[in-house]
Amino acid sequence: MQTFHIRYRNTQGTLMRILNAASRRALDLPVVHAEPSEHDHLVTLALEVNQKQVGQLYREWYGIADVIKVSSGAAHASAWTGAHPPAGVPMEESRAAARA
Amino acid sequence: MEIKGADIVLRCLRAEGVELVFGYPGGAIMPLYDALEGSGVRHILTRHEQGAVFAAEGYARVTGEVGVAMATSGPGATNLVTGIADAKMDSVPLVCITGQVRSALIGTDAFQETDVFGVTLSLTKWSRLVRTIDEIPEAIAEGFYWARSGRPGPVVIDIPTDMLKAKKEFSGPVKFTPHARAADAKADGGFTDTIVALLRQSSKPVALVGAGAKLSGAIPELRRLLDNLNIPTFATVHGLGAVPPEASYYLGMVGMHGTRAANTALNETDLLFVFGARLDDRVTGEPTRFAPHAKIVHFEIDPAQLDRVRPCEVPVIGNLADTIPAFQAELRRHSLPDFSGWRAVACGPERAELDPRGLAQPTIRFLDELFSRLPQDSVVIADVGQHQMWAAQRYRSSSPRGFITSGGLGAMGFALPAAVGVQLAKPDTCVLCVSGDGGFQMNIQELATVRRLALPVKMVIVDNKYLGMVRQWQQLFYQRNYAETDLSDNPDFVEIAKAYKIHSFRLNEDAMREFPVSAETGDEIDRFLRSPEPELLVFDCAPEANVFPMVPAGAALSEMLLEEDPAQ
Repeated sequence: MQTFHIRYRNTQGTLMRILNAASRRALDLPVVHAEPSEHDHLVTLALEVNQKQVGQLYREWYGIADVIKVSSGAAHASAWTGAHPPAGVPMEESRAAARA
Repeated sequence: MEIKGADIVLRCLRAEGVELVFGYPGGAIMPLYDALEGSGVRHILTRHEQGAVFAAEGYARVTGEVGVAMATSGPGATNLVTGIADAKMDSVPLVCITGQVRSALIGTDAFQETDVFGVTLSLTKWSRLVRTIDEIPEAIAEGFYWARSGRPGPVVIDIPTDMLKAKKEFSGPVKFTPHARAADAKADGGFTDTIVALLRQSSKPVALVGAGAKLSGAIPELRRLLDNLNIPTFATVHGLGAVPPEASYYLGMVGMHGTRAANTALNETDLLFVFGARLDDRVTGEPTRFAPHAKIVHFEIDPAQLDRVRPCEVPVIGNLADTIPAFQAELRRHSLPDFSGWRAVACGPERAELDPRGLAQPTIRFLDELFSRLPQDSVVIADVGQHQMWAAQRYRSSSPRGFITSGGLGAMGFALPAAVGVQLAKPDTCVLCVSGDGGFQMNIQELATVRRLALPVKMVIVDNKYLGMVRQWQQLFYQRNYAETDLSDNPDFVEIAKAYKIHSFRLNEDAMREFPVSAETGDEIDRFLRSPEPELLVFDCAPEANVFPMVPAGAALSEMLLEEDPAQ
């Protein structure tokens, strides 16, 4: 189970778009908690995902107009073994993997 | 002075540069229609809301500007949905304005009430259900911003009818300024050294060009880069026209119905450059066996498109109009390896098409005749099916916006209304609409729009009296069980066109068995293409003609079928 924290502006449909990115992949949503946070809103999701889905979700969430930041509660980035990490991994590591 | 919400909508549209909208009136959106006259916005009445949204898409695809479609609440809005999905898949900037039941009735299952905001949530880049008249200017400004920005896409603005009728002081359109986001941070520019290192390791590099190259407006820069790289290059269906077909390194279309040379090179490559393509399954074949030896360098504006099929080694995120020139400038500092040996193999005669003149396939001959006689800068709009793939295979033009089709969604019925939008955007251009008999009947009512506006669209129906592509699959993979694909009871399209007062005629495929075609047939095609009036040409095609090459579903590109198996 992977925990995600998504900071977003609470505009019409933004939370639904965030959830839809998971539901369109037939992922169960056992934990969803949304609340105001500082000047924005924060939703926390727990999802059973594989590494490929982590990358896809990160990118799809960032594609939503009013999503501000996506992060993960688990240390998934350091455990990433693919050549192109989803986010948060230094470009140099990515390049080194490409050259390998 | 106070003005109505409907007038505010139209003034904001004008402020966004909108001159043309496509739509169909109805109850909830009547106030907007009432305000059209004198607004400076020209409305094009189609005969179905799907026709309106496809026409708006055609306009947007050929101009690069935002297309605008209008419809009423309920069924009017839901009839837009296929076009919205199409715009999402093919990155078309589109704004749909829908009327909604009055605010007090929302959520009551009122007459013609549909939650269009909810229905289109997963299909749009952004959407807004307007709650007060004060929100209208900002909703339109923000909607147009998102439709145009980044990877373009569709937007829905749903406006309750009472907001359109209400009045308020209007101080003018507003500008939308997006909030800064972590995701907007630009990728660092240090990718060139990595790519050059990969090029030096590579012996069989190739380049794949998709729609993103065109959308970025970076075609001249891309062509210079490709000339510099000088490696075998091919295009997706939406990338057609980005690379001059006469370029010595160009191998044509890649994918399910791509050329033998392109698919073979893609299967063999050890380094794949992707310029603005999302690598969908029609391009990759079986994803686990796609370009099995290759590392991937992916130039892409939309990070969500990376790693969808398989991981890429070097993502170059950003508008290709920025990243390609940056890469090209850096590349000049390096000497590149000589790939002439590989190029000679990949582009060599052993991999040429089996029947380059299409002598065994009259429909291909017919399309070759049509395309070779098109005036310069013509626009070809293909519907969806066999004719679409034949057209994509035979299209030879270096016009980046010269070939338009519903590629991602594959929406039959797209071509005729899209041609309406294209012709309105390009009134002096030859617009050729190529459909099948199935797809043409899905929006055949738009013949009335063509006639009313006297648009000189040249319409072609490739009539094989089948849902041809489905039938082809049934033949090859379902033991010829032609379940519900027989359209042998088609109406007489020539007579139908005549009923719409559109000149029409029929051409039999026997006319294409001669090479070259007879002077009489050639003259007739020339006359058709240069007529100042709309015309319909019905081409009678063999019922069981098939499109080859073909990569069967679930197969790798290397397993493409090159020609008919006599045993089938």
